[in-house]
Amino acid sequence: MSAPAAPFRCLACAIFRREIEALRASGCLDLPVEYLPSMLHMVPERLDARLEAAMAATRKEVAGAPLVLAYGDCCGHMTDYETQPGTGRTQGINCCEIVLGSEVYRRLRREGAFFLMPEWALEWRKVFVGQLGLLGPCAREFMQELHTRVVYLDTGVLPVPHATLAEAGDFLGLPVEVLPVSLDPLLASLQQAIHAAGARDAG
Amino acid sequence: MEPDAQQALLDAIQQADRAGARAVIEAWAETHPFERVVPDLLSPTLETFGRLWAHRKLGFSLATGYVAAKVAEDVLARLLEEAGARGEARAPLKGPVVLGNVEDDFHPLGRKMVGAFLRADGWDVQDLGVDVTPARFIEAAEACGARVIGASAMMYTTAKNAARLREAMEQRGLAGRVQLALGGAVFKLRPELVATFGGDGTAPSALEAPALFAELWQRASILAGEVEP
Repeated sequence: MSAPAAPFRCLACAIFRREIEALRASGCLDLPVEYLPSMLHMVPERLDARLEAAMAATRKEVAGAPLVLAYGDCCGHMTDYETQPGTGRTQGINCCEIVLGSEVYRRLRREGAFFLMPEWALEWRKVFVGQLGLLGPCAREFMQELHTRVVYLDTGVLPVPHATLAEAGDFLGLPVEVLPVSLDPLLASLQQAIHAAGARDAG
Repeated sequence: MEPDAQQALLDAIQQADRAGARAVIEAWAETHPFERVVPDLLSPTLETFGRLWAHRKLGFSLATGYVAAKVAEDVLARLLEEAGARGEARAPLKGPVVLGNVEDDFHPLGRKMVGAFLRADGWDVQDLGVDVTPARFIEAAEACGARVIGASAMMYTTAKNAARLREAMEQRGLAGRVQLALGGAVFKLRPELVATFGGDGTAPSALEAPALFAELWQRASILAGEVEP
């Protein structure tokens, strides 16, 4: 792989903002990052449009820059974007698999876990009431039918919001488990995406 | 036609209020025979709901879709209970069919909604749950004599496993005789992927699944030589 002529750029879901900024601050990651709102995940068509526009704008701004997408497979055309020349994506179905790694993610999903990343934990009402429309008793019934517990992914970038999690757990009628997770799988996934973007750039 | 009752039921569903919807149905049943609830109240209300939901009108969220499915389940449960009380077995009239999320897919909501609307429409549904391998789909379909398999996937990554299911169906000699319905968010966003991954059909929403399954069942029966085209 020859070194690309232009510096790498990254477009990331804001669900990763605190985690990626922690990696940058620690010196593990040297990558300018633009974040798009994480709530776009709830409307995949909008995420498609915003991401496509942001990719075009970045490429116009820095011609030839290899582009890293810090995203799961969260919209209909993600695979089209990640296979463009000079592009690489963090591998994983969604942000939780990227942070947990595939094996742990699948085991917990099979157990019925519903994951909360720190950003969405702080905005749980916006997610469950504002976006999903879970009102009143429907919230508990809905969540209890589909899940066994809420698993908060404690990436270590924020103090665990115990009171907020308890409030969310009560509203959703599910126990809440706090799972400490390392940033290593996210870093490894970003590094793999950087490699892929550079390789595709080299053609 | 029961426009007031239909509107009241629609309002309750829009408020994601399952208990409120049940109350509307019970009030309606005080002056109507309950066996008429599906054609006279539930179906027309769900048709209106389906149109509004498909166009994402304000107030029609994922939760309201879930409640609509639960209302259909509640109605079906009461119909079964009343038939049982009269000493009649109310066996499903259509099917059986098999449902499941493809391997590695853990998003059950859409599949559960499809199952609820199919059952309310009289289908015998064998629901295999999430993360179903091609072998399990085929084993279940062969065991119960299903002519339609409904496979759900939310994302492109997992939707690719629908192609593996299709391949396994071909290898088993089931193609045509068993039709493959594909659904889930990625197929709604990109309907062209249904053909790419070997599906025989899809529906834009769970509410329209009964019509799709009827069409696919008919097609399978024609290909099996059991009915005239």
